[in-house]
Amino acid sequence: MKHASPSPLGGWRIMFLLARYWLKGRMTRAALLWILFGEGGAIVFIAFGSQTFLAFSSRFNVGGGFSEFALSLLLAFILVGLLQSGFSGSGLPVTTADVDYVFTSPVRPREIFGAKVLMNSLTTVLFSFPPMLFLYLELALHDGTSLWSAFPAGLATLLFLLTGLILSADVTLSLSSGLAPRMKLLRNALVVGVAALGILPVVLLIPGSPSYLGPVAEVLPSGLTAAISVGVVNGSPWSLALAADVALLFVWFAGSLSLGVRMSRRHFYEVLQVTDAEESGLATRSIGTGGRLLTSGRSLWRVVRDKEGVVMRRSKELRGLLVSSLFLSVFMVIYALAGTFQSSPTSFLFILFLVGSFGSGNASGWLEKERLWIIKTSSLDLRRYVREVYVARVTPLLLFLTPVTLAVGIPLIWEKLGQPDSYPILLALPAALEVAAVMMGGGMYFASRNGQSTTDDILSSQAQQLTDVKRFLYQTLVNLALVSPIMGLVLVAAQTPALIPLSPIPLAVTLFVASGAYTYGILLRLLNASGDWIRKREDL
Amino acid sequence: MGDISIEALTKNYGPLVALNGVSMAVAPGEIVGLIGPNGAGKSTLMKIVVGILRPTSGTVRVSGHDVVQEPEAAKKLIGYVPENPSLYTALTVSEFLRFVGKIRGVADGELETRIADSLRTFSLQDKADALVGSLSKGMKQKVALTAATLHNPDILILDEPLTALDPKTQAFVHGWISSQGKEGKTVLLSTHNLDIVQDYATRIVIIDRGNVIATGGLESLRRLADTKADARLDEVFLKLTEDLQ
Repeated sequence: MKHASPSPLGGWRIMFLLARYWLKGRMTRAALLWILFGEGGAIVFIAFGSQTFLAFSSRFNVGGGFSEFALSLLLAFILVGLLQSGFSGSGLPVTTADVDYVFTSPVRPREIFGAKVLMNSLTTVLFSFPPMLFLYLELALHDGTSLWSAFPAGLATLLFLLTGLILSADVTLSLSSGLAPRMKLLRNALVVGVAALGILPVVLLIPGSPSYLGPVAEVLPSGLTAAISVGVVNGSPWSLALAADVALLFVWFAGSLSLGVRMSRRHFYEVLQVTDAEESGLATRSIGTGGRLLTSGRSLWRVVRDKEGVVMRRSKELRGLLVSSLFLSVFMVIYALAGTFQSSPTSFLFILFLVGSFGSGNASGWLEKERLWIIKTSSLDLRRYVREVYVARVTPLLLFLTPVTLAVGIPLIWEKLGQPDSYPILLALPAALEVAAVMMGGGMYFASRNGQSTTDDILSSQAQQLTDVKRFLYQTLVNLALVSPIMGLVLVAAQTPALIPLSPIPLAVTLFVASGAYTYGILLRLLNASGDWIRKREDL
Repeated sequence: MGDISIEALTKNYGPLVALNGVSMAVAPGEIVGLIGPNGAGKSTLMKIVVGILRPTSGTVRVSGHDVVQEPEAAKKLIGYVPENPSLYTALTVSEFLRFVGKIRGVADGELETRIADSLRTFSLQDKADALVGSLSKGMKQKVALTAATLHNPDILILDEPLTALDPKTQAFVHGWISSQGKEGKTVLLSTHNLDIVQDYATRIVIIDRGNVIATGGLESLRRLADTKADARLDEVFLKLTEDLQ
């Protein structure tokens, strides 16, 4: 039987059909709730971040040019991240079900690409637009310009994100061409190039630097978006330059889309094979002796801890932790430079919250649900096993977070040494680490009790049920309750000299010991309970 | 040499009765083939023996150690290969085996020798430094089999050990299971491959919907099923399980 060649209309129908069913699969009530939570979290983070930034720019008296540069830099980082994910083969996220059912169907690759773009666009709009709008509304309020200007600024940023996602998909599609063998070189060149162009305008901060370097970043969609959004929000009148920037941003969008459409003519399933092959290549690479798991002459529990360390290193969990800590450090130093710590004692709660949240996120990888049979069928004491795994996982977390807290804390303590209001600072710094440690213990406890109810596990899956949402809320509330005594102690520390008749150093030591003893006690209970849950649960 | 004794074992998952008062015994040095349709309760039974699941009622003793009362003592005697073994993919094969050997209490002095011997037995020497995650399914299955025997257990519990193996490796594993029996190990083997059970099992237990419906050697099962004297196990199995329906 002869089939008619599919018409362009048929192609659109298929694209909408695929996108509709993919969305149906994703947009469960639970997923929508997660989007709302995510947007709420992003708005809180943007509120803190932008207030810090505005306080910093006011303190150092830098103008709108600096805002544009900062936004351009931030967007350039996002662009670099998207390009890197493209090179790693994740530019077009495809599930096993897609491979098994869609790629084996007569649907043309271009239609699959189109449907993916459609779906990614819609989810990006749903997830990203409200927080972006909030950011620009805040900037417009700060600058005293029309609040309506936030809408075109948000739309420009949305267009940038869509362009970035399509570019990421283009990079992934290009892997099936002859570029793949030169991938590493290309990736490095492109990533370094984009990063360099994004960072170049920093030289404008140096007095007397050539002004023509300013628009260099506007070659990139990130720079164009920053110029358009900040310009609009600052109340700049429409000009030819602004119109040209908008036109160029559209050219980037249309160019990347046409490139993707062109490259998706061929079946790009092989791209997934390239990704697998790359992983396989990484997997079989030689491993240095320094990173090996050695057992000879080592105690059983030392081997358990070492095993956890090796797994964390090789699964790149440690690298992720280091990168996150670096970001946190930069943020904290800017926050400190903005003078917020000095002016507001409650801002220590923000340190505690921010640093502590790292502990909760870091707990997600520990459970290894499918592999627990190895441990459960051995004669190991499961309580002790959980405690040793915790030690292995919390050590790098604290090692990475300690410099962050010291960088912020030492100058502050130095300023206020001997004064009663130095107690909150003195206590907040170790407390930040204690909160992180307890949050991690709490994360491990909930992971062992509820399987998937750690933050990362839930957020990584689009198809979680509402029960998981409830568990997450429950976990967050319980974790907050667990750390509230530590946070409470920081809050009341300034009043303690009036309440406890001790001289400054013994008082500081007493507060520190009380906080530490609480942390130790609660951790011991959490970890032992985790071990008990693992023993009791039959689905692990 | 170890033995397994199961008495009136029941396991419920909510309203579902996975095992319904199962009683059976595996004598030292026996190779017992546990066969049954999908969902019959074979894996549940094995998971109770190795201490992953707890029985709703009844007792399981491994060489006299109750798996609920003295789990550590029982576990020391068992080597287990689950149906779909998930291994530490970020460790190399030798690292994984060292880790398993260590948690199974193999002395440092013996561990390296045993790992080298096991790798040789399963032809995995050239994969010693490869990450487990980079291996094929069949290779991973071999690693799981190796890990199960590192501590030289008296009892082997093998749940579908032939899954994902190519014909050549399957033939090797057939021979390996037989050799374990000859070495005096007690083997409880669950599989859908009835040829291996017919060829190597000293006794066969057929389980269906949580009940043991037949037990004995091939001859006695043939009589029970009222089949021809030269009937193969698959015919006997089909007859017995069809009769039940």
